[in-house]
Amino acid sequence: MNKTVYDAIVIGGGHNGLTCAAYLARAGRKVLVLERRHVLGGAAVTEEVFPGFKFSVCSYVVSLLRPEIIRELDLPRHGMELLPLDGTMTPMPNGDYLWRVNDHDKTRREIARHSRLDAEAYDEYGKAMVEMGRFAKPIMGMLPPDPTSLDPRGLLELLGMGKRFRDMRFHDKVNQVQLLTMSAVDFLDQWFETDVLKATMSASGIIGTFLGVRSPGTAYVLLHHYMGEIDGAFRSWGLSRGGTGAVSNAIAAAAIEFGAEIRTEATVAQILSKNGRATGVALANGDEIHAKVVVSSVDPNLTFLKFMNERDLPGEFVEGVKRYKYRGSSGKVNLALDALPNFTCLPGAGPHLRGAISISPSVDYMERAYDDAKYGRFSSRPYMDMVIPSLTDPSVAPPGKHVMSCFVQYAPYHLKDGVWDDRQREAFGDAVIDTIAEYAPNIKDIILHRQVLTPLDIERDFGLTEGNIFQGELTLEQLFFLRPVPGYAQYATPIDRLYMCGSATHPGGGIMGAPGRNAATRILKEVSR
Amino acid sequence: MKAPPRYDAIVIGGGVNGLTCAAMLGKAGVRTVLVEQRDDVGGCAAESEIAPGFRVPTLAHATGPVRRDVVEHLQLYLHGLTFLDRAIDVSSLSPDGRALPLWHDPRRTADGLAAWSQRDAQAWPAFHQSLARLGGLIGSLFQSAPPSIDAPNARDLFALMHTLSAFRGLPKADQWRLLRWGPMAVADLVSESVENELLRATLAADGIFGAMLGPWSAGSGLQLLLSAANRSLAWPGGQVVAGGPVALARALRGAAERHGVEIRTGAAVARIEVKNDRAAGVTLATGAHIEGRAVVSGVDPKRTFLALCEADHLPPEFSWRIANYRSRGTLAKVNFALSAWPSFTGATREMLSGRVRLAPDLDYLERAFDHAKYGRYSTHPWIEFTVPSIDNPALAPEGAHVLSAYAQFAPFQLRDTNWDAERDRLGDIVTTTLEQYAPGFSASIVARQVLTPLDLERGWGLSGGQIFHGELALDQFFTMRPVLGFGSHRTPIRDLFLCSSGSHPGTGLTGGSGANAAAVIARELA
Repeated sequence: MNKTVYDAIVIGGGHNGLTCAAYLARAGRKVLVLERRHVLGGAAVTEEVFPGFKFSVCSYVVSLLRPEIIRELDLPRHGMELLPLDGTMTPMPNGDYLWRVNDHDKTRREIARHSRLDAEAYDEYGKAMVEMGRFAKPIMGMLPPDPTSLDPRGLLELLGMGKRFRDMRFHDKVNQVQLLTMSAVDFLDQWFETDVLKATMSASGIIGTFLGVRSPGTAYVLLHHYMGEIDGAFRSWGLSRGGTGAVSNAIAAAAIEFGAEIRTEATVAQILSKNGRATGVALANGDEIHAKVVVSSVDPNLTFLKFMNERDLPGEFVEGVKRYKYRGSSGKVNLALDALPNFTCLPGAGPHLRGAISISPSVDYMERAYDDAKYGRFSSRPYMDMVIPSLTDPSVAPPGKHVMSCFVQYAPYHLKDGVWDDRQREAFGDAVIDTIAEYAPNIKDIILHRQVLTPLDIERDFGLTEGNIFQGELTLEQLFFLRPVPGYAQYATPIDRLYMCGSATHPGGGIMGAPGRNAATRILKEVSR
Repeated sequence: MKAPPRYDAIVIGGGVNGLTCAAMLGKAGVRTVLVEQRDDVGGCAAESEIAPGFRVPTLAHATGPVRRDVVEHLQLYLHGLTFLDRAIDVSSLSPDGRALPLWHDPRRTADGLAAWSQRDAQAWPAFHQSLARLGGLIGSLFQSAPPSIDAPNARDLFALMHTLSAFRGLPKADQWRLLRWGPMAVADLVSESVENELLRATLAADGIFGAMLGPWSAGSGLQLLLSAANRSLAWPGGQVVAGGPVALARALRGAAERHGVEIRTGAAVARIEVKNDRAAGVTLATGAHIEGRAVVSGVDPKRTFLALCEADHLPPEFSWRIANYRSRGTLAKVNFALSAWPSFTGATREMLSGRVRLAPDLDYLERAFDHAKYGRYSTHPWIEFTVPSIDNPALAPEGAHVLSAYAQFAPFQLRDTNWDAERDRLGDIVTTTLEQYAPGFSASIVARQVLTPLDLERGWGLSGGQIFHGELALDQFFTMRPVLGFGSHRTPIRDLFLCSSGSHPGTGLTGGSGANAAAVIARELA
């Protein structure tokens, strides 16, 4: 039995767990991080899946990582380097394309090719979204107030938000409300007429949810994406040199430098508690490790229903945990390529391959993809977001070869007919390749290896319940003071000294780090050394 | 000097809200004239003959229900309004020939549910009570115009405090429910509470009625809560108007006339006149002018601002918002004249005299919606019907009956075709669907009337055929109905007010919007 007593044990070495650990260690706390796998990073991980080919296996782009975390943990010094991902190209079935880049004027001209009106609206839209981002940004770092409590501090915070809202211009106020409540397509319909433009923009609204682009509540994520910034520069998406695992490794290095201890291949079996207070964890190998504080970066399902006995928790809380929706809806296909894909709409290699390639040719296409999933099938023609990181970062593939990462939606965790077995996995992989082949016919000839991750694989490999990449759907009733369970949105749990710091807490998923940092702030305030 | 206008207020549109508003203004001593383009007032609360001797509730076959304070304030019982105290709120028929009635008394529903699901039988009373409590809280917001966000006055603040304390007065679990349920998909909402699919679909139908939403669309939970709110404000002695919605229209007309309101039918308004940035009257299609100190529009916001107002009187941003105000109709109405009793398998006479739903499960509702997304009408629509001739035999000849059915989804915008070409096919689909539950139904049809969303727009001026004058979505509700900052029945044009369902609360034939607007307008004209 291990005699060392830690100030804090962090369960899970994903980017949020590591971030939380780094902040706790930075404040002088003795911290231990326990990671089940042999590698750190959770879903922000780089693995050499095929010899010479390194993949950001799960999460593949970086944008939402909070700039204050980059600064405070000095991540660049620890080896994190973010490379720009320039734009999004959407091939269309008619041989045309829509190619939006970071250069606003260029994008405007490109949109004008499809519709002059839309090009003008694009300016207005961009301005409006930046305003919205300004309003929403402080909310990211907030401890969500509890509207049902009588705590005057929480009420003041809510009133403060109300006041900031009131002080916005009419135009921005309306936009703000609409973003929170409307469907992505309805929201975009107000500005734009070009179908492919609306489809490709609305796509960001459905990522990680089990909703279609026409479902209310999907507009919110449009904002999530406009808040993407790399170190203060609004709206830029980036790749991480060495894959997203390099981000996790940099955070881990910072944590270690601050004195944190990190163990891999250390599987937690149980969270120990006594008289309603967490005391440590028991590992699968039987070891017990004690600490003043236990912080779980894994999702509520694992934290409360697997690592704890539900009898030790209040019934209403357990109900809330069980009701919390995961509903993984996406899969991932990673390809090792012998050459670059050749898109019919823009043949040859070129800058269009350096950005994201979006398979979202029309709003109907997006809806049809969703319809399949609603009735328990993976989309026969899915929405995809693809990047070829090896073009920007040659270190991830052998010379002349490439890696291509395809985020695929929808792939429902629960299939109506059967389960996610090898046959279904391959069928899903085939559907993905067939879809790409409609736009880049050479794809089938250049694939050296393919890795297909179904929601079930994501659950098994990364401990994400039902394969939800955000540790729970990002829908309105599971956000802010409702995430993950009403009344427990402030990183604390019904168990004293047990905290949550994963994507299942405010402000949610993506390589953002905010949950980890917010949780650490609370813990440092509440638990003295 | 010019003579002052003859009227204080001109109300455009004689629907339930227009009539309510006019009657209340009249009662408050405001000299009011109401102009209606059709030959009779009532709007969606109408009755017509579809075959010799067969009369049907043309559009709505149930009221919102009508609000208790409207009934009392206007003493509508003096004008023939009576209510039926029905034991069953709504029933659903199962394709296997069984029927599931939801009784007004939750214990009775629970007893009946035991045959379907023990779990649901146990869960029902608590769910019913939660819904009623939340409905009560939201209902308290329905009874006056929403507060101004920019410059709340004392009345606004008082109302807000009142609601806040009512919110705090709810059990904690219900406080959280309210916050979660509003933005949720109604399918999730009901699935959390009950397990039987027929029951789920029956409840979820309230969340998507008239909306461009499927049960799995987020935000459909709101409409379920709004209908609970409506119920909390209803006349306590019964929510069903004897004689159908048209009886409500007649009573409102009686009350309006008693309070000195002048009613002109067959008078279509062509334009709202604005002078010195104030609404000053209306011009009729005939070219005649009516002058008034204020104009109150009982027609929907899109029509009010985009068709009846000249664009240069409105701020461009406001016009843009109104142009984007969502009013996509999805509901069709099919009326049948029947030579015989429609024998629906498993349904009692008592059930058929009320509202009956045909939607076996949540996926059925969702599939019906799928069609609408792509600009097609459902091949298997969900239906709510009633047989009004049971309670009101005068509607049909001896032994014969009429049946009134709502069918959804029938989107206003059809792709690659139009409603004039598709109307009959839609009617056939509804007939076939009914036939599945009532063998022999088709053979008994004497006459059929099919009203598509296009017909609702053409005949009743409902933009997009949207029955609520605009979708009931979170961003088009309360202070945001129709546009944020204009939830208080006022508009960017001074002395032009909204009293239609396109203003708060706007949840059907309750008279709520009209009553709330009248209170604002009477204060302002005083």
